[in-house]
Amino acid sequence: MKLREHEAKNVIREFGIPVPAGFLIRTAAELSAHLEALGDKIVLKAQVDVGGRGKAGGILMADKKSAVATAEDLFRKEIKGLPVKEILAEQRLDIQHEYYLSITVDRSSKQPLILFTEEGGVDIEITAKENPSAIRRVIANPLMRDLPPFMLRELAGKAPKEIMPIINKLYRVFLEKDALLAEINPLVTTPQGVFAADAKIIVDDNALGRQGFTVNRDLTDREREAEKHGFSYVELNGAIGVIGNGAGLTMSTLDLIEFYGGKAANFLDVGGGAENERVMHAVRLVASVPTVKVIVVNLLGGITKCDEVAKGIIAAGISQKVIVRLAGTNEAEGRRLLTEKGYEMLPTMDLVVKKAVEVTA
Amino acid sequence: MIYGDRKTGILVQGATGKQGEFHIGLMNNYAREVGGRGVVAGVTPGKGGQQVHGVPVYNTVKEAMSDHDIGASVIFVPAGAAADAIMEEANAGIETIVCITEHIPVHDTMKAVAYARMQGSSVIGPNCPGLLSPGEVKMGIMPAGLFSRGNVGVISRSGTLTYEVVDELTRAGIGQSSVVGIGGDPVIGQTFVDVLKEFENDPQTKAVVLIGEVGGNLEEEGAKCTDLPIVAYIAGISAPPDKRMGHAGAIVEGGEGDARSKIARLKKNGVPVASRPSEIPDMVRKLFCGC
Repeated sequence: MKLREHEAKNVIREFGIPVPAGFLIRTAAELSAHLEALGDKIVLKAQVDVGGRGKAGGILMADKKSAVATAEDLFRKEIKGLPVKEILAEQRLDIQHEYYLSITVDRSSKQPLILFTEEGGVDIEITAKENPSAIRRVIANPLMRDLPPFMLRELAGKAPKEIMPIINKLYRVFLEKDALLAEINPLVTTPQGVFAADAKIIVDDNALGRQGFTVNRDLTDREREAEKHGFSYVELNGAIGVIGNGAGLTMSTLDLIEFYGGKAANFLDVGGGAENERVMHAVRLVASVPTVKVIVVNLLGGITKCDEVAKGIIAAGISQKVIVRLAGTNEAEGRRLLTEKGYEMLPTMDLVVKKAVEVTA
Repeated sequence: MIYGDRKTGILVQGATGKQGEFHIGLMNNYAREVGGRGVVAGVTPGKGGQQVHGVPVYNTVKEAMSDHDIGASVIFVPAGAAADAIMEEANAGIETIVCITEHIPVHDTMKAVAYARMQGSSVIGPNCPGLLSPGEVKMGIMPAGLFSRGNVGVISRSGTLTYEVVDELTRAGIGQSSVVGIGGDPVIGQTFVDVLKEFENDPQTKAVVLIGEVGGNLEEEGAKCTDLPIVAYIAGISAPPDKRMGHAGAIVEGGEGDARSKIARLKKNGVPVASRPSEIPDMVRKLFCGC
């Protein structure tokens, strides 16, 4: 789950990384109380959960006089379709130079990867393509709580020496907050010292509980409903609903829909050992997606009991057509139950998908 | 044979739990069928002295190791305790550690994998179905009925999709040497690179089916570092960006790890890529006859 900017900045501040003076406001009027502390030059940043908010008009410059009116304007805006409910009002920094610092999980080395470049403030993916040698990379050992000084020297190069302790502090944030990404872009030098002008932290969804989060805000309502039942669910916008077991098989079913020229409405992985009640909830959930005209059920596995699955499909009692491919324990009984009720069953995933595409064409 | 054979004694952690008990039964049925040793010991802290399907349960891995010759382990403990289980086994000197558990925080996995590497152990998984070498050994939860013995290795980030492909191969008369589910998490112990190295040193394996998915670039990295003939399949061509497709590791982020660019890179390296699972058997057959 991605933390909002003000949350990420609070976290790094707790770990001793300097951030600009700032206040989170929910109405423009709240800003008046903070104007003294913010000084004359102010930046107002919409706290919305989308990328590229600056270009979308979500970051506005102001001075002490214009700040309240500018905040009113920003609260009235929609940024990429999202209403602005919170604004982070910050002191604007006198930036001398911008750096980029990030720590991610490197799949290849299976360890933390720290990136630092003196060319910050811009899109790091562009720098990576156009000037890869400008990015310094260090792989750390996750069993060490601190980065050894030589790694900090390798990363910082000729950058001001105040940056080295900041790199280590961000590494502590990364380890202790279960981060998949901890990023400061830009990290800036000013006459007053070094500051994190922006901060981004993504917390591992599998560690939200121990990090004190009760809900995953990245999920939509239906995704959250799915999570309650233990399903993995992603919504797309086609006409063919999909229920599968196992992430790979379900993804592969979606791909096959595209291969045969159809469009999937969703991804739903019911998980292993699906029993009739779980299957019923899955079918009803997918049927509740307004775009769904037909549902493909593709279940395969040793421990999935086909008769249980069949009972779940029948119990769901939905109006849309359900086309089923089932393989596993008690297959014959499952087939008998479904054919008795007039459901269509086909023996391979190619065939069920082809049929569903035909139905929606 | 890779990561063990019928002579390998297996330890199960989380032996007295529902999953552990169920799969000890299935693993030992398979061992009896092929004349292997199967699961020789279980571990659940506090349950030492019990038995599961006739297998003795110990409180610690060290105690189990002092009574039995153990070369591999399969972990069924909950996510919060799984990293600790991996480290306990690595510390006790178990060579191959298969971790079935899903939802382990990535930082726990990174630490456990780093520790296991220091101890010289190989971790398969987490969030994986384990491995099965037909006629030799089953370590994990794969449904043995679909498999047949032969010369094709299979490496996959998935569970059920692997069964689908193995089923297709078996029906087409193409047997498997070893089938390894490496896991669906962003950080896993043995990656495509590591397992392909094992297959290269395995005289039984003549070709490999590589089943990947969106997220990262380890499929391409693996394919680049082996001379073995490979057929690949990548799931997730229809996956939207920034959404986790069931597996924690199946995500297109920062414009990287999408299926189309993976497929393009594999093809550029001369690896044939199937556009759907049912094409795989014919493509494997073509590798062998060179037509």
